[in-house]
Amino acid sequence: MTIDLNNARPGDIVAEFSPPPSTPEDLARYAEASGDSNPLHLDPAFARQAGFSDLVVHGMLNMAHLGRLLTERFPAENIRSFSARFEGIVLVGQQVGYCARLLEKTPDGIALELDGSLVGGGRVISGKALVAVD
Amino acid sequence: MGIDHRHVGYTLPKFTLTIAPERLAAFAEAIGEVATGQAMAPPTFLKVIEGEGGSSRRILDELGVDLRRVLHAEQQFEYFAPLRVGDVVTVERKVAEIYEKKGGEMEFIVIETGFFDAAGERRALSRQIVLVRHPKKREQ
Repeated sequence: MTIDLNNARPGDIVAEFSPPPSTPEDLARYAEASGDSNPLHLDPAFARQAGFSDLVVHGMLNMAHLGRLLTERFPAENIRSFSARFEGIVLVGQQVGYCARLLEKTPDGIALELDGSLVGGGRVISGKALVAVD
Repeated sequence: MGIDHRHVGYTLPKFTLTIAPERLAAFAEAIGEVATGQAMAPPTFLKVIEGEGGSSRRILDELGVDLRRVLHAEQQFEYFAPLRVGDVVTVERKVAEIYEKKGGEMEFIVIETGFFDAAGERRALSRQIVLVRHPKKREQ
Protein backbone atom coordinates (compact mmCIF):
# COMPACT_ATOMS: atom_id res chain seq x y z
CA MET A 1 0.00 0.00 0.00
CA THR A 2 1.22 3.43 -0.84
CA ILE A 3 -0.07 6.46 0.93
CA ASP A 4 -1.18 9.89 -0.21
CA LEU A 5 1.82 12.19 -0.51
CA ASN A 6 -0.07 15.05 1.09
CA ASN A 7 -0.37 13.08 4.29
CA ALA A 8 3.03 11.40 4.10
CA ARG A 9 5.54 12.06 6.83
CA PRO A 10 9.29 11.52 6.74
CA GLY A 11 10.01 7.81 6.95
CA ASP A 12 6.71 6.77 5.39
CA ILE A 13 6.82 4.40 2.42
CA VAL A 14 5.43 6.19 -0.63
CA ALA A 15 6.12 3.52 -3.29
CA GLU A 16 6.87 -0.19 -3.37
CA PHE A 17 7.73 -2.51 -6.23
CA SER A 18 8.99 -6.07 -6.57
CA PRO A 19 9.59 -7.29 -10.11
CA PRO A 20 9.84 -11.02 -10.83
CA PRO A 21 13.34 -12.49 -10.37
CA SER A 22 15.59 -12.04 -13.42
CA THR A 23 16.24 -15.04 -15.66
CA PRO A 24 19.35 -15.64 -17.82
CA GLU A 25 17.20 -14.56 -20.81
CA ASP A 26 16.41 -11.27 -19.03
CA LEU A 27 20.13 -10.61 -18.56
CA ALA A 28 20.87 -11.44 -22.21
CA ARG A 29 18.13 -9.03 -23.27
CA TYR A 30 19.45 -6.30 -20.97
CA ALA A 31 23.02 -6.85 -22.19
CA GLU A 32 21.85 -6.49 -25.79
CA ALA A 33 19.75 -3.39 -25.10
CA SER A 34 22.31 -1.65 -22.88
CA GLY A 35 25.58 -2.67 -24.52
CA ASP A 36 26.93 -4.07 -21.23
CA SER A 37 28.06 -7.55 -22.20
CA ASN A 38 30.34 -8.31 -19.26
CA PRO A 39 30.50 -12.16 -19.13
CA LEU A 40 29.69 -12.05 -15.40
CA HIS A 41 26.08 -11.50 -16.52
CA LEU A 42 26.04 -13.95 -19.43
CA ASP A 43 28.46 -16.83 -18.96
CA PRO A 44 27.75 -19.12 -15.96
CA ALA A 45 31.24 -20.65 -16.10
CA PHE A 46 32.84 -17.19 -15.97
CA ALA A 47 30.57 -16.17 -13.09
CA ARG A 48 31.58 -19.30 -11.16
CA GLN A 49 35.27 -18.62 -11.79
CA ALA A 50 34.70 -15.16 -10.38
CA GLY A 51 33.34 -16.78 -7.22
CA PHE A 52 29.57 -16.52 -7.75
CA SER A 53 27.21 -19.49 -7.71
CA ASP A 54 25.26 -18.19 -10.71
CA LEU A 55 24.94 -15.30 -13.17
CA VAL A 56 25.13 -11.84 -11.59
CA VAL A 57 22.37 -9.37 -12.45
CA HIS A 58 23.66 -6.10 -13.96
CA GLY A 59 23.80 -3.42 -11.25
CA MET A 60 22.30 -1.01 -13.77
CA LEU A 61 19.35 -3.37 -14.27
CA ASN A 62 18.72 -3.21 -10.53
CA MET A 63 18.94 0.59 -10.77
CA ALA A 64 16.56 0.51 -13.75
CA HIS A 65 14.06 -1.37 -11.58
CA LEU A 66 14.55 1.27 -8.91
CA GLY A 67 13.82 3.81 -11.66
CA ARG A 68 10.58 2.01 -12.49
CA LEU A 69 9.59 2.35 -8.86
CA LEU A 70 9.84 6.11 -9.45
CA THR A 71 8.28 6.34 -12.92
CA GLU A 72 5.30 4.18 -11.99
CA ARG A 73 4.53 6.59 -9.15
CA PHE A 74 5.62 9.95 -10.60
CA PRO A 75 5.78 11.48 -14.09
CA ALA A 76 9.28 10.75 -15.45
CA GLU A 77 9.80 14.40 -16.43
CA ASN A 78 9.41 15.40 -12.76
CA ILE A 79 12.49 13.46 -11.65
CA ARG A 80 15.24 15.98 -10.97
CA SER A 81 17.93 13.69 -9.64
CA PHE A 82 18.36 9.99 -9.03
CA SER A 83 21.36 8.22 -7.54
CA ALA A 84 22.20 4.73 -6.43
CA ARG A 85 24.91 2.98 -4.49
CA PHE A 86 25.51 -0.66 -5.42
CA GLU A 87 25.83 -2.49 -2.12
CA GLY A 88 25.36 -6.14 -2.94
CA ILE A 89 25.10 -8.77 -5.61
CA VAL A 90 21.83 -10.11 -7.02
CA LEU A 91 21.93 -13.49 -8.75
CA VAL A 92 19.48 -14.76 -11.35
CA GLY A 93 16.44 -16.23 -9.63
CA GLN A 94 16.68 -13.91 -6.63
CA GLN A 95 13.83 -11.51 -6.03
CA VAL A 96 14.39 -7.94 -4.88
CA GLY A 97 11.88 -5.71 -3.15
CA TYR A 98 12.27 -1.98 -3.82
CA CYS A 99 10.79 0.80 -1.77
CA ALA A 100 10.86 4.59 -1.58
CA ARG A 101 10.50 6.42 1.72
CA LEU A 102 9.81 10.10 2.11
CA LEU A 103 12.94 11.84 3.34
CA GLU A 104 11.63 15.39 3.33
CA LYS A 105 9.44 17.85 1.49
CA THR A 106 11.39 20.77 0.09
CA PRO A 107 10.37 23.84 -1.94
CA ASP A 108 11.75 22.03 -5.01
CA GLY A 109 9.76 18.87 -4.50
CA ILE A 110 10.11 15.76 -2.42
CA ALA A 111 13.28 13.97 -1.48
CA LEU A 112 13.06 10.20 -1.37
CA GLU A 113 15.25 7.55 0.17
CA LEU A 114 15.40 4.42 -1.98
CA ASP A 115 16.14 0.87 -0.97
CA GLY A 116 16.35 -2.50 -2.67
CA SER A 117 16.72 -5.65 -0.60
CA LEU A 118 16.65 -9.33 -1.40
CA VAL A 119 13.41 -10.98 -0.38
CA GLY A 120 14.55 -12.74 2.76
CA GLY A 121 17.15 -10.12 3.67
CA GLY A 122 20.23 -8.23 2.59
CA ARG A 123 20.31 -4.79 1.04
CA VAL A 124 21.67 -4.74 -2.52
CA ILE A 125 21.08 -1.14 -3.54
CA SER A 126 20.31 2.17 -1.88
CA GLY A 127 19.74 5.58 -3.31
CA LYS A 128 18.12 8.96 -3.33
CA ALA A 129 15.85 10.86 -5.66
CA LEU A 130 14.45 14.35 -5.87
CA VAL A 131 11.08 14.60 -7.57
CA ALA A 132 9.27 17.83 -8.40
CA VAL A 133 5.62 17.78 -7.42
CA ASP A 134 3.06 19.58 -9.57
CA MET B 1 49.43 -0.12 -8.56
CA GLY B 2 47.66 3.16 -8.14
CA ILE B 3 46.30 5.10 -11.07
CA ASP B 4 48.31 8.06 -12.26
CA HIS B 5 46.45 11.14 -11.05
CA ARG B 6 47.61 13.02 -14.12
CA HIS B 7 44.58 11.37 -15.77
CA VAL B 8 42.24 13.67 -13.85
CA GLY B 9 40.74 15.88 -16.51
CA TYR B 10 41.20 13.29 -19.25
CA THR B 11 38.38 13.91 -21.73
CA LEU B 12 37.05 11.46 -24.27
CA PRO B 13 36.47 12.87 -27.76
CA LYS B 14 32.84 13.96 -27.69
CA PHE B 15 30.34 12.03 -29.76
CA THR B 16 26.82 12.63 -31.02
CA LEU B 17 23.94 10.23 -31.47
CA THR B 18 20.23 10.29 -32.16
CA ILE B 19 17.86 8.55 -29.74
CA ALA B 20 16.37 5.89 -32.00
CA PRO B 21 12.84 4.67 -31.21
CA GLU B 22 13.79 1.01 -31.57
CA ARG B 23 16.68 1.34 -29.10
CA LEU B 24 14.48 3.06 -26.56
CA ALA B 25 11.79 0.40 -27.05
CA ALA B 26 14.32 -2.44 -26.68
CA PHE B 27 15.64 -0.87 -23.47
CA ALA B 28 12.16 -0.33 -22.04
CA GLU B 29 11.34 -3.97 -22.75
CA ALA B 30 14.63 -5.15 -21.21
CA ILE B 31 13.86 -3.40 -17.93
CA GLY B 32 10.33 -4.81 -17.92
CA GLU B 33 8.48 -1.60 -18.64
CA VAL B 34 5.02 -1.96 -20.06
CA ALA B 35 5.19 -0.60 -23.60
CA THR B 36 3.25 2.63 -23.52
CA GLY B 37 4.73 4.08 -26.67
CA GLN B 38 6.03 6.83 -24.43
CA ALA B 39 8.73 8.81 -26.14
CA MET B 40 10.65 9.83 -23.03
CA ALA B 41 13.79 7.93 -22.08
CA PRO B 42 13.65 5.97 -18.79
CA PRO B 43 15.86 7.54 -16.09
CA THR B 44 18.74 5.07 -16.46
CA PHE B 45 18.81 5.17 -20.28
CA LEU B 46 21.49 7.87 -19.94
CA LYS B 47 23.90 5.10 -19.00
CA VAL B 48 23.24 3.43 -22.36
CA ILE B 49 23.81 6.68 -24.25
CA GLU B 50 27.06 7.44 -22.46
CA GLY B 51 28.31 3.88 -22.94
CA GLU B 52 27.95 4.09 -26.72
CA GLY B 53 30.84 2.49 -28.57
CA GLY B 54 32.29 0.96 -25.38
CA SER B 55 33.25 4.43 -24.15
CA SER B 56 33.51 3.48 -20.47
CA ARG B 57 35.93 0.73 -21.32
CA ARG B 58 37.99 3.11 -23.45
CA ILE B 59 38.35 5.45 -20.49
CA LEU B 60 39.42 2.65 -18.16
CA ASP B 61 41.88 1.36 -20.77
CA GLU B 62 43.36 4.84 -21.09
CA LEU B 63 43.84 4.88 -17.31
CA GLY B 64 45.47 1.45 -17.44
CA VAL B 65 42.91 -0.11 -15.13
CA ASP B 66 42.66 -3.91 -14.87
CA LEU B 67 38.99 -4.55 -15.67
CA ARG B 68 38.91 -7.62 -13.41
CA ARG B 69 39.43 -5.32 -10.41
CA VAL B 70 36.64 -2.94 -11.33
CA LEU B 71 33.24 -2.56 -9.69
CA HIS B 72 30.54 -0.03 -10.43
CA ALA B 73 30.17 1.46 -6.96
CA GLU B 74 27.77 4.32 -7.45
CA GLN B 75 25.77 6.09 -10.15
CA GLN B 76 24.25 9.57 -10.00
CA PHE B 77 22.02 11.32 -12.52
CA GLU B 78 20.72 14.88 -12.67
CA TYR B 79 17.98 15.80 -15.11
CA PHE B 80 17.53 19.35 -16.40
CA ALA B 81 15.15 18.65 -19.29
CA PRO B 82 13.72 15.40 -20.67
CA LEU B 83 15.40 13.44 -23.47
CA ARG B 84 13.01 12.01 -26.04
CA VAL B 85 12.96 9.85 -29.13
CA GLY B 86 14.54 11.65 -32.07
CA ASP B 87 16.64 13.98 -29.90
CA VAL B 88 20.19 14.49 -31.09
CA VAL B 89 22.48 14.25 -28.09
CA THR B 90 26.12 15.20 -27.82
CA VAL B 91 27.97 13.37 -25.07
CA GLU B 92 31.03 14.73 -23.28
CA ARG B 93 32.82 12.48 -20.80
CA LYS B 94 35.74 13.24 -18.55
CA VAL B 95 37.60 11.84 -15.60
CA ALA B 96 36.54 14.29 -12.90
CA GLU B 97 38.25 12.81 -9.85
CA ILE B 98 40.51 10.03 -8.67
CA TYR B 99 40.82 9.33 -4.96
CA GLU B 100 41.67 6.46 -2.68
CA LYS B 101 40.53 4.96 0.59
CA LYS B 102 41.90 2.39 3.01
CA GLY B 103 45.50 3.36 2.31
CA GLY B 104 45.18 2.69 -1.39
CA GLU B 105 43.36 -0.64 -1.22
CA MET B 106 40.32 1.01 -2.73
CA GLU B 107 40.70 3.51 -5.50
CA PHE B 108 37.78 5.47 -6.93
CA ILE B 109 37.43 7.02 -10.38
CA VAL B 110 34.65 9.54 -10.97
CA ILE B 111 33.59 9.81 -14.61
CA GLU B 112 31.40 12.82 -15.31
CA THR B 113 29.26 12.93 -18.44
CA GLY B 114 27.31 15.85 -19.86
CA PHE B 115 24.42 15.36 -22.29
CA PHE B 116 23.80 18.33 -24.59
CA ASP B 117 21.00 18.88 -27.08
CA ALA B 118 21.36 20.25 -30.61
CA ALA B 119 21.06 23.81 -29.25
CA GLY B 120 23.98 23.19 -26.90
CA GLU B 121 21.79 23.17 -23.77
CA ARG B 122 22.75 20.66 -21.11
CA ARG B 123 19.84 18.24 -20.62
CA ALA B 124 21.40 15.91 -18.08
CA LEU B 125 24.49 15.02 -16.11
CA SER B 126 25.81 11.64 -15.05
CA ARG B 127 28.45 10.74 -12.49
CA GLN B 128 29.70 7.19 -12.50
CA ILE B 129 31.86 6.14 -9.58
CA VAL B 130 34.07 3.17 -10.34
CA LEU B 131 35.85 1.25 -7.60
CA VAL B 132 39.19 -0.34 -8.41
CA ARG B 133 40.24 -2.89 -5.81
CA HIS B 134 43.90 -3.27 -4.89
CA PRO B 135 43.92 -5.86 -2.11
CA LYS B 136 47.17 -5.82 -0.14
CA LYS B 137 49.42 -8.77 -0.93
CA ARG B 138 49.72 -11.18 1.99
CA GLU B 139 53.37 -11.87 1.30
CA GLN B 140 55.95 -9.36 0.18
